[in-house]
Amino acid sequence: MSAAIPPSTAAGVALEDTPVRATAVPRRRRHRPWTFDKVSFFVVFLGLPLAVYLIFVVSPFIQAFYYSLTNWGGFSATFDFVGLFNYTKILTDDLFTRAMINNVVLVILVPVVTIVLSLILAILLTVGGSSYGQTRGLGHSGFYRIVSFFPYCVPAVVIGLMWGQIFDPSHGLVNGLLTKAGISSANEFAWLGEKSTAMPISIFIMVWAYIGFYMLLFVAGIKSIPAEIFEAARIDGAGRFRTAISITVPLIRDNVQTAWIYLGIASLDAFVYMSVLNPFGGPDNSTLVMSQQLFSTAFQKGQYGVACAMGVVIALMTMIFAGIVGLVNRLTGGKDTVTLA
Amino acid sequence: MTQSSFNRRGFLKGAAAAAAVVPLASSLASCAAGGGSSSDSSSAPSAGAKSADNPFGINESGKLDAVIFNGGYGISYAQFAAAQMKKKWPKLTVSVKPSNNISQELQPRFVAGNPPDVIDNSGANSIGVSSILSQLDTFDDLMSAKNYEGKTISDTLYPGVKEMGTRGDKFAIFNYVMSGYAVWYSDSLFQANGWTAPKTWDEAYQLGAKAKAKGKYLFCWGKEAATYYRTLILGTAYKQGGDEVRLAIENLKPKAWSQPVIQQALTALKKIIDAGFVKPGGAGTQFTAAQAQWSNDQAALLYPSGSWIENEMKSQTKAGFKMTGAPEFVLDDSPVMGYEAMNAAPGEPFICPKQGVNAGAGKEFMRAMLSEAAAKNFAEKILSPTVVKDTVPADGFGSTALVSLTKMLNAAGEKVFNIQWVDYYGVNTEHLVVWNDFLAGKSSVAQMTDAMQKISDKVANDSSVEKITIK
Repeated sequence: MSAAIPPSTAAGVALEDTPVRATAVPRRRRHRPWTFDKVSFFVVFLGLPLAVYLIFVVSPFIQAFYYSLTNWGGFSATFDFVGLFNYTKILTDDLFTRAMINNVVLVILVPVVTIVLSLILAILLTVGGSSYGQTRGLGHSGFYRIVSFFPYCVPAVVIGLMWGQIFDPSHGLVNGLLTKAGISSANEFAWLGEKSTAMPISIFIMVWAYIGFYMLLFVAGIKSIPAEIFEAARIDGAGRFRTAISITVPLIRDNVQTAWIYLGIASLDAFVYMSVLNPFGGPDNSTLVMSQQLFSTAFQKGQYGVACAMGVVIALMTMIFAGIVGLVNRLTGGKDTVTLA
Repeated sequence: MTQSSFNRRGFLKGAAAAAAVVPLASSLASCAAGGGSSSDSSSAPSAGAKSADNPFGINESGKLDAVIFNGGYGISYAQFAAAQMKKKWPKLTVSVKPSNNISQELQPRFVAGNPPDVIDNSGANSIGVSSILSQLDTFDDLMSAKNYEGKTISDTLYPGVKEMGTRGDKFAIFNYVMSGYAVWYSDSLFQANGWTAPKTWDEAYQLGAKAKAKGKYLFCWGKEAATYYRTLILGTAYKQGGDEVRLAIENLKPKAWSQPVIQQALTALKKIIDAGFVKPGGAGTQFTAAQAQWSNDQAALLYPSGSWIENEMKSQTKAGFKMTGAPEFVLDDSPVMGYEAMNAAPGEPFICPKQGVNAGAGKEFMRAMLSEAAAKNFAEKILSPTVVKDTVPADGFGSTALVSLTKMLNAAGEKVFNIQWVDYYGVNTEHLVVWNDFLAGKSSVAQMTDAMQKISDKVANDSSVEKITIK
């Protein structure tokens, strides 16, 4: 359930593309005979990744869709076909629909907040410094970069446990500071156990964990923009904010889009954070996500057919999300913008 | 080969597409397992002849394939039992393998039709028994067999082993470790203050007032373990109302949660919650942290839990705590089952798949586990009793909790019961949400009743869930 791209996947997609283009180019020479050299090249660089992709990515996909149409319990070799029964079942199930809504909330909020905050940090660290002399970031930006990247090096489970302790009602740091500051209502306040705060706090923790990485991604993007452009903008009298909005962001548009898709996928999953912070779905199921429902349906209730249907629904939602992001990018003029490459 | 220029934008698009495909694959791959391979349902290889000495007719020169959950108990106790078995059957090849993920590890073997002879189906990733019930062997002949010391096995066990291992009509689960639910407290703290463990909910309320005067709470809870209070309420109701109440709840009857006894118990707990005798903030507290508030900070007096609590909190218990258990509360002095009745919950469920490699070898292994030598070895090494009686000495190896558990079990005698439906239908997760709200004072008794009934009705009305009749 992680959102990391195995190299084979990217390679598979890229390589699938190449031969099609190759044939599209008009041939000038006669077809050369198949040499061992050529065949072995194809086998190793095209056949192998393609096979890995088909066996480990495409076939489980099809298999899971197939199981989602059955009542398979997971431990027998026999099952019956039930058509779309599993789908109607989960889409009318109040817990799963609740989880879907929570995921949609996450997919709207987490990417926006993370991208805005990490963009601000990245801009401060790269071009937000002194307006005199060379374009540069704030002083000691290297230090800040390391500090804000640090959360990304900590495993998600550890982050969840750590923040769970920080928000502990009796011995937690947050309530300790708040009660010391004289806010008596914070005494024994269960941040992760109150319906009104559980989801916002969970989102905060996810954002905290992601910011450093996306900041680094944007820093890399901004560094690839030639300094002359910033200098020209400065000579024309553009301030820092104007430069950020009109120069920096449009020029790293592709990075932003990629970040948006990755963050969206992470929020449609959110399994690790949510199951560590509130393993059962949180107060009034306010932090329940689809992947948690999938897990408990498969491994606690032994309804693998239903769980596979949930997996298919998650997959479809992910694809729809990626489609929407692409569409929005295109409609807002992503196609016409100049990219430096 | 003609060279084509590699378009960066095209690559980014490809990467975006790949990014969309990955979670698809990962979320789907997580539930794609096994193949549609048809297993032959023929029974296991040739067996030996059955006799009094070889009650399950195992093949003496065959193999034993045991997979044991490698959790808090380790697997050395099982290896010890396997050694006993090897002594009895020198030609047998024994294999005892540890596993931390019983369900994920053994699923392919079940699908392929060659599961192990015996499995300790325990831990967070255990197999939901409802999904493999039809593939399991029964333990009735094990109960009537003689153990390695020559005594009939059923005579050597605590009562209830069969009842608690029976799903529907099938005695398919053999729980090996004896434990029980109780209300736990610090005997030293109670003695210092002249308190006694409450027997009824009214007495509990009065104790709560006394605790409050000392700046302490009566109860505390942790978010992942809020349902210990459901177990306590059901314990009260089953003891107070007897089988009638129990069977209505266990068999998911409509309006089961509206039964007067359940309502009285919930109201009694609600009174305690409303009086502020429950430490607030439990819904946001990790359960071991909450338990430490009871065992180490002594911020709360009582904690309802299973007898494993002593082991679980060993490193976080105040010195001289003297952890002691008292039976779960009743409502008045005339409960149907009696105050001493106990939710005795044997744990570590062992199962024997029918299609094991060496038919009967799994049960022969259990026979070895139930031998006096193996049971004593377990009690001594793990400091926990097995379902075999009389293996714990009077001093309980120095553990007050173990002594009080043994006392409670002996007092309960035949009056033991069990809560089965929660695990069987896998509804604990849904209960946690409801119980956290209730304990935090967020919901009324009526809302609580509705919510619990709704969860029960949902399972009852779901035609795709195979129901069992609990007796």
